[in-house]
Amino acid sequence: MDHECLCEKQAAVDEFTPEQWRLIDEVIEKFKDKPGALIPVLEEVQGIAGYLPESVQRRVASGLSLPLSQVYGVTTFYSFFTMKPRGRHQIRVCLGTACHVRGAKRNLDHLMEAFKLKPGECTEDRNFSLDVVRCLGACGLAPVMVVDEDTHKQVKEAKLDQIMKVYGDGSNPSEG
Amino acid sequence: MTVNDLNSIQKRMEKEKGLGQNGINARVTVHMGTCGLASGAQKVMDALLDQMRKSGRSDISVTTSGCIGLCSQEPLVTVEVAGKEPVIYRQVDDPKMREIFKGHLLHGEVQSEDALCRGKAVNEDPMPSDSGNGIPHVSQLPFFALQQSWVLRNRGLIDPESIDDYVGRGGYQAAGKALLEMSAQEVISEVKVSGLRGRGGGGFPTGIKWEFCATSKGEVKYVLCNADEGDPGAFMDRSVMEADPHAVLEGMIIAAKAINSHQGYIYCRAEYPLAVKRLNLAIEQAREYGLLGKDILGSGFDFDIEVYQGAGAFVCGEETALMGSIEGRRGMPRPRPPFPAVSGLWKKPTVLNNVETYASIPQIILQGGEDYAKIGTESSKGTKVFALTGKVKNIGLVEVPMGTSLGQIIFDIGDGVPGGKKFKAVQLGGPSGGCIPAEHLNTPTDYEAITKAGAIMGSGGMIVMDDDTCMVDMARYFMDFCQDESCGKCSPCRIGTKRMLEILQRICKGEGKEGDIELLEDLAQTIKDSALCGLGQTAPNPILSTIRYFRHEYESHISDKHCSAAVCSALFKSPCQHTCPVGMDIPSYVALIRAGRIDDAYKILKRTNPFPSVCGRVCGHTCQMKCRRGQLDEPVAIMHLKRFITDHAKRPRGGVLPTTRKEKIAIVGAGPSGLTAALELRRRGYAVTVFEELHEAGGMLRWGIPAYRLPREQLDQEIQEILDTGVELRTHTRVGKDLPFEDLERDFDFIYLAAGAHKSLPLNIPGEDAEGVIGAVEFLRAYNLGKEVKVGKHVAVIGGGNSAIDTARTALRLGAKKVTIYYRRERKDMPAQEWEIRAAEEEGVRMMVLVAPVRIITQYGKATRLELTQMRLDQFDESGRKQPKPILGSEFTEKAETVISAISQKADLDFLSKRDGIEIAGSRVKVDKYFRTTHPEVWAGGDMVTGPAMVIDAIRAGQEAASAIDATIREAKGERPWVAPEEERIDIPVEVEEETVEQPQTSMLEVSPSLRRKDFREVELGYTLEMAMAEARRCMRCDANVENRSH
Repeated sequence: MDHECLCEKQAAVDEFTPEQWRLIDEVIEKFKDKPGALIPVLEEVQGIAGYLPESVQRRVASGLSLPLSQVYGVTTFYSFFTMKPRGRHQIRVCLGTACHVRGAKRNLDHLMEAFKLKPGECTEDRNFSLDVVRCLGACGLAPVMVVDEDTHKQVKEAKLDQIMKVYGDGSNPSEG
Repeated sequence: MTVNDLNSIQKRMEKEKGLGQNGINARVTVHMGTCGLASGAQKVMDALLDQMRKSGRSDISVTTSGCIGLCSQEPLVTVEVAGKEPVIYRQVDDPKMREIFKGHLLHGEVQSEDALCRGKAVNEDPMPSDSGNGIPHVSQLPFFALQQSWVLRNRGLIDPESIDDYVGRGGYQAAGKALLEMSAQEVISEVKVSGLRGRGGGGFPTGIKWEFCATSKGEVKYVLCNADEGDPGAFMDRSVMEADPHAVLEGMIIAAKAINSHQGYIYCRAEYPLAVKRLNLAIEQAREYGLLGKDILGSGFDFDIEVYQGAGAFVCGEETALMGSIEGRRGMPRPRPPFPAVSGLWKKPTVLNNVETYASIPQIILQGGEDYAKIGTESSKGTKVFALTGKVKNIGLVEVPMGTSLGQIIFDIGDGVPGGKKFKAVQLGGPSGGCIPAEHLNTPTDYEAITKAGAIMGSGGMIVMDDDTCMVDMARYFMDFCQDESCGKCSPCRIGTKRMLEILQRICKGEGKEGDIELLEDLAQTIKDSALCGLGQTAPNPILSTIRYFRHEYESHISDKHCSAAVCSALFKSPCQHTCPVGMDIPSYVALIRAGRIDDAYKILKRTNPFPSVCGRVCGHTCQMKCRRGQLDEPVAIMHLKRFITDHAKRPRGGVLPTTRKEKIAIVGAGPSGLTAALELRRRGYAVTVFEELHEAGGMLRWGIPAYRLPREQLDQEIQEILDTGVELRTHTRVGKDLPFEDLERDFDFIYLAAGAHKSLPLNIPGEDAEGVIGAVEFLRAYNLGKEVKVGKHVAVIGGGNSAIDTARTALRLGAKKVTIYYRRERKDMPAQEWEIRAAEEEGVRMMVLVAPVRIITQYGKATRLELTQMRLDQFDESGRKQPKPILGSEFTEKAETVISAISQKADLDFLSKRDGIEIAGSRVKVDKYFRTTHPEVWAGGDMVTGPAMVIDAIRAGQEAASAIDATIREAKGERPWVAPEEERIDIPVEVEEETVEQPQTSMLEVSPSLRRKDFREVELGYTLEMAMAEARRCMRCDANVENRSH
């Protein structure tokens, strides 16, 4: 699993709004006294901030009285947590077995080529990010691709470009 | 809330659900699981509500439920009208919903075209007596009829967000019984009697696990539910949680009673947001009703449950990792002992069970463990829910009694493999499991039986694979998954999976080495023995299992750089070319047609195939089966395009080639294999003599394939082009009769045997020696030789392959009044090409399937009637097809003055006696991979080696053998290998469509059936230039992306 050393890429603290920091602190407060609540906290905080860079991890660590190394350890262990920002439109390609057998890998290759992205990355303009999911459990619809809230079923490689056109150039998050 | 309150709610709900009472006359249920929603079920619901508003009817109830398991037909809607049978509609969308509402609900007219069946998914009503306007009853659909609902007993019948619906179906009665009427020990006893084994994959007896935990010391104990269904391809738990969340809660309450726990957690993966939502809602509702929390149902017992969401780590499905995750740590397993039952979550005694296990519990308590134990096998009791996916028609969620065979699930419930493809293997148990091939389809779903076959029961994911799946790629895929999900704590898994993955990636890239397979086996065993947890210990299973059953695929990737499924794209330019036995450059010649350069296209054809006109008419075109276009709409009509080229190109004739070498080669048989070998040897400068038994060259192409498929002029031209290079052809010469084999050995340096398979197999039934009974090959040859062939008024052809079809259509043209093909299996099992079968039917050939001949009835030594027996399909045989067995007492007879045996052919090897030193096995000549026999100077190829196969296989054999003979000669003399003369450079244009529009294959023009059955004119007329160019444009140029492939 690829992740950069924290020293090199640090998101500026003012990347997030005061409102976001307030919400983050609220979440920490809510779970403060619950043992083992680190994961639910990180889940909710990522929902607010969009991703978990070092600055956010430090806030959570100090709020829950945990060492930063433990927060970092948990963040980097679970694939749902990311230290890289996600795009306005998140493309998730399911690579579960049923989807694999029905050609999901070719769909992924096609998208990687079209957007010049590797899974886990997002485009320069932050419009699109590409992720691989292991199994969404919608095997009846294989191969499956989820873009934001839309589940696309039985995705054929030859139709991918047309499907993605719906999201335009990605700069408008409500498109599609 | 007391039990009496539960009873009142149940009674009230039963009344409410009944139609024709309380002012409700009809009910429409839109089934909405994740897949239903993804398929548009919400839009269907919106349309329904809109119609409801417009109609102003208040006596129609609209509700929802979880999915009913038939994923491939989503969205599904059940319509019930008082006094009438329910009807389930399939693939409903907004317009259809409105039609159904207006037609069925407002006017009482069932919309038959959109109906799946009558009745409900969980069928508790007896089969009605009426025929139901042609709509099958649910008990007549194998998908539902062969299932048995225990865990899924509420499927389709309750709204998962209504606790009253659940109580209405008897919900929480079991919890009441366990808490108020039973002791902890009695609960454990009941579960032990049931024989329930953990459904998460481990199969550990649940009652015993609970007992261990119950006897552990401690005040605080935990009940955990593992809902981290991480196996890719498994969604059983998701469906249960989305459709019937209370069943899981109730099971946990009962478990809590058994071990005396007061807190439970459900660890549900975050990828299941709907399941998490419904579980949380269910818990809230249960708390409101006092079914969770303090003093449940007045029993004095406290128990509460919390849902804990995962964060995307497969390893957290492992019990100790799961507990670590709840404790807020990295999900890394720890060694056992101590086992969770003694020291688990927060070091307290903990019971961890799977969703399906808990959902099985309430009914076990209510109906008794003995009832559960009546279902299933000796060691595997009860039912199991499977997620049947992959290459199967009825993708869905099925619950069957343990012991049901894999074949029954895949072929009866699942209705087999779609698209006319062949079943290859089924994967059980996800990345921890193994694959089971066609030979073992009779394996019952039983823990021990499946383990013996090399897989594991697992959580229930069952992925069906066909011949488009590469088993090496599947092994790589699973290892990639395990390597990615490995927590990293122990070296065997962290490093071992990476090393195994690297080896597999190399193999898939074409960089496999000798010894790789043995290395994989070695590593696998080491990792299994030393990894810390189940993930590592089972990660090597898919590799061991694929090596066990598909070792030849690994070998072919390594030694031949060949992927028979045409999946490992680093090994080939395009799947069509890779699949063609001679590797014809299909993308190039199709591109040239598209550019209008037909003459150049012809040159490309001749570079690899001396018989393009023949192949363009009769080849089995496996290339088309792998054409990627076929995954969009239909494959490119490669064969028709090839024929188009040969029909319209300038076909320059070559002259004699020089003889530059002194070795002389003899070839026995002037069929496609022999002639191809002759050509290749002439190109390399050898003197070649071909010996042919009959008076003309051509082999099966002339004597077997009828002229209406392959006109004689086309065949003659291609044969002549080969002979023109300077091949000496000696006809009327049968080796072994007119010329002893020893003479060949004496007069020639090397020999290539390609005499084909021209002896029909006998039927082995009484009456076979009567007049009018003949083998298919003999029949066709007699006609093609110009002999007078009498056919009776009624002709019976036994068999289902191309010979049977050719024979039947020829008999028709020779004047038979009625021609019938009798085949012992089902139509879909017939080896003949589908379009041939269709063409025969169009011409009036009658097909009768599931019948087999018993004897030929004769009079005065002539055949008059054929006695047949009907067949029924029994268990699966090694070919993965159901074995036909005669139905005793079902014999019947039909008129037949001519009976033709077309069941198969074998080679006539009389001319090779033992002392020739050429080993024979069965009726086939044994050869090594270079087509050399056990005699050092004799090679052999074509049907006499393989049995009946395709023309292109024979051509390939001729090419390979010629090349091998030449290489052997040169090597023995210390000469350098032959270098083919440089070919003219032909630029291939690269043009791909901007947008891919779905469009079926361009249909071939044909003579109408009524005209063509009168004579032997060619049936297929060929494409026009416009048709050919339009078809060529459908090619997606898979080869054009080769540079960009990110393998």
